[in-house]
Amino acid sequence: MPKKYHIYPKVTPLEMEYLYKFKITRGENCINCGKCTKVCIYEAHKRRKDDPRKMADPNTVVCRNCFRCIQECPRGALEKSLHQDYVNISGFYWKADMFLTLWKQAEDGKVPVTGAGYRGPFTGAGFDSMWTDMSEIVRPTRDGIHGREYISTGVELGRKHNHLAFDTEGRLLTQPHPTVDIPIPILFDIPPVELSPNVMLALIKAASEISTCVILPAADIKPELKTYIANIIPFITESEIDKYADILKNARLVAIDYTDALPDKLAAIKERIKNISNAVTIIRVPAISGIEGIVSKLVNSGAEAIHIVADYRGQEINKDKEANFKPRLLKDIIRSIHLKLVEERIRDEITLIFSGGMAMAEHVPKSMLCGGDLTAIDIPLLIALGARLYEEPEKLLLLPDGLEKIPVDIITQRMVNLMCAWHSQILEMMGAMGIREARRLRGETGRAIFFEEIDQETFGKLFK
Amino acid sequence: MGENMKPSTVKIKKMPSRFKHQVPKYKITRSDDCINCGTCAKTCPYGVHERPEGHNRVNPPINYKCIGFECQSKEFCCLTQCPRQALSLSLNPMYETLGDYRWTADMITGTWIMAETGYPPERTDLEYNVGNSGGGFDKLRFKFPANPPKVDKAEISTAIELNRRNDGRAPVVISTPVYGGGMSFGSVSLPTMVSKAHNAAIWNTFTCTGEGGYPEILMPYDDHVITQVATGLFGVREETIQRVKIIEFKYAQGAKPGLGGHLLGEKNTESVAKMREAVKGASLFSPFPFHSVYSIEDHKKHIDWIKEMNPIALVSVKVSTPNDVDMVAVGSYYAGAHIIHIDGGYGGTGAAPDIAKKNIAMPIEYAITKVHNFLKAEGARDAVTLIASGGIRTAHDLVKAICLGADGAVIGTAELVSLECVRCGNCESGRGCSRGIASTDSELADLFTEEWATQRLTNMYHAWNYQLVEILQKFGMKSVKELVGRTDLLEHIDYSK
Repeated sequence: MPKKYHIYPKVTPLEMEYLYKFKITRGENCINCGKCTKVCIYEAHKRRKDDPRKMADPNTVVCRNCFRCIQECPRGALEKSLHQDYVNISGFYWKADMFLTLWKQAEDGKVPVTGAGYRGPFTGAGFDSMWTDMSEIVRPTRDGIHGREYISTGVELGRKHNHLAFDTEGRLLTQPHPTVDIPIPILFDIPPVELSPNVMLALIKAASEISTCVILPAADIKPELKTYIANIIPFITESEIDKYADILKNARLVAIDYTDALPDKLAAIKERIKNISNAVTIIRVPAISGIEGIVSKLVNSGAEAIHIVADYRGQEINKDKEANFKPRLLKDIIRSIHLKLVEERIRDEITLIFSGGMAMAEHVPKSMLCGGDLTAIDIPLLIALGARLYEEPEKLLLLPDGLEKIPVDIITQRMVNLMCAWHSQILEMMGAMGIREARRLRGETGRAIFFEEIDQETFGKLFK
Repeated sequence: MGENMKPSTVKIKKMPSRFKHQVPKYKITRSDDCINCGTCAKTCPYGVHERPEGHNRVNPPINYKCIGFECQSKEFCCLTQCPRQALSLSLNPMYETLGDYRWTADMITGTWIMAETGYPPERTDLEYNVGNSGGGFDKLRFKFPANPPKVDKAEISTAIELNRRNDGRAPVVISTPVYGGGMSFGSVSLPTMVSKAHNAAIWNTFTCTGEGGYPEILMPYDDHVITQVATGLFGVREETIQRVKIIEFKYAQGAKPGLGGHLLGEKNTESVAKMREAVKGASLFSPFPFHSVYSIEDHKKHIDWIKEMNPIALVSVKVSTPNDVDMVAVGSYYAGAHIIHIDGGYGGTGAAPDIAKKNIAMPIEYAITKVHNFLKAEGARDAVTLIASGGIRTAHDLVKAICLGADGAVIGTAELVSLECVRCGNCESGRGCSRGIASTDSELADLFTEEWATQRLTNMYHAWNYQLVEILQKFGMKSVKELVGRTDLLEHIDYSK
């Protein structure tokens, strides 16, 4: 059994204002009787410090929407509404509640737990149109959640053999390919905006602390960051191999930008890298239409790992700027690529990394059930630091003012906390499924329940 | 109203909200043009406007009393009566902060009205039967026949048998096809727990202790209490097993399928610890799954153990809804269960990881169909009672669940909403429920009386039963049992033509 993998959370508040869901206002007909102070158990209502005869403005930050002040105010003087910030930030994909829950997880590193049942829509697009299975009565695993049995979230990056070869004497001819072990199926992707030095350093340190890697353009890897090279995946074009030889030398993984000419040159490129370094190569491809063919060709050309990148909302990328482009969603792209490789009997040979729109912990195991080996994330790590993302009128990612002055330790810990919460949530889902190894999740569609299939099978049949 | 065969113990009595104000759907705005003439106070029959004796100003409008846009067709409407046109009507932004996709603000408001009056709301501006989730029950509608057989409401029975095995055990019949879900001592306040049991006795149905022991205060209602045996075996004693008519094995819970329970140390107070036979202040884990059950054979051993201890009680098996829920149900039938209770993924809880509530296991709508059909194919359907829970919010959900193949349903959230739960979701945080429903905090657990709560529950059950009888009458049926599996009486917004 491998050594138990732990991420250590530590409550780390960030002293800045973030989103609030509610806004309470006190009307002019308030008679300062103080009833609201008595009934609110969250201390949203207090008297003014400078003039205790009067009530202070409600402290909306702590409001948990219990309605007691609203319902018990003798004058009906309190009004509540959704905070305008909360309404404005909700997009087509990135919902206001995601920002709030990621912010909270970054603070305490805990699995979000609430009372009352699920509140959301019955189903949705992409990953929201699938449920994960669980095992009841007859189940293989006992208790991974409370630590009495080990659930491994570790994955391997690299090429695998389809089968073993032996000589006529029965001796093994196959040499295993080099692989890199990562204890959590999450890489940190290239930051989507420019980061101040403290945030950049924190991102790398957080990756290092949880034993994963961060993908960074080689040009951004300043000399002082080279000590962390075991946890950095330099991203280069194929023509930059020699230019960055010094960085590649000690890297465990290297990411190369895809070009249409790449599959034919892949053998030569791998050879050039091999002369410098032992790094396993990841080819980074945008999730464009026809991606299945590209991936298949790369596998057949000897690729070791392929990183398929959808846009920030988990959608297919409109490479040719087609009018009326109807993007596929990442869930469907993963399933389609996985199935093609299964049909061609080459799926086991390659490691597939998927990213784009990974917004919540559930997206990690769900993308693996669809056929991925692991994921890469970017925006949630910045939301942990107070970033805001607006989708309309066009994508706008804003980092909070003053972030460049926050100590590296605090920023690092918030990213670590977020990953701790995600890791625990992945364990919850795996524990329920009775799956003890994250590697087993890959393509296990039998342990997923897809809305379009079950709805058709149940209601489609009944009401046709 | 035509009386049906409901128990004679059911007495409807108006039981108003314990709060001064309700959450308003509408907002009346009075502009500066108001001259405080008081016309609005005289004309509005609902009491939105007031000008107290001797005051020369009109009070701010009491928004929650306003019936909204439908008032505009009435001649007393304040908007048209105001001589200065100083009043305007709009939707209240506050209403958006109440409820969610599954339990809409209208549904919560409607349930509150049922708990207050005992009848469905007379207001026509509330969609209280269907939620806004965009799937499952919310996409199903009834297909009423044009000329159903004439049935008098007094002839309609809503009773169902829970023992269909013909095995000599207690012939338990409940008068309405609904009973209360398990909520443990510690997860809800004592008035909540006792009023649930009292109402179960009034309606000749059941409530469930949940996992956490059997408080003595429930003893007067023994015949209407289901005691739960869950994975932590907390509070399970031979004596409690022998006290009741139904024992429920909880294998899993829909809101957190495949995950164990966890009572935080600080919630494990002296009385809770005593009940659970545990050490005060220690965190208590209920593991997942039963560490003594890894096969259907083990499961049978479990059931035999209970049957041995209590020779007349029925055994209910509560499971959540994995892909193979149909197999589990058939296995439980062969192991000797009387009731198969399936709890869907969107069900309620006092505390569960959000990731589990949203993602793990299937919604109840699919599971009912799956299990009903599989039991039928196996020839076992008539020998077990199939109970559905986890997302049964309204009387319409109940009827739809029965049409899909259940015999009856278990409800939890609807009961708590009747006690004025707003579904804020803070049952477990800090001091617990600020509305006193799910808290054991000494101050908060004392916010309402058992009498108030019992009557609110009885009223809500009555409103549901009233709706159920009306629907049966429209289908021309004399018994709710005729409804089981009648998917032909439903249509689906997307699929049906």
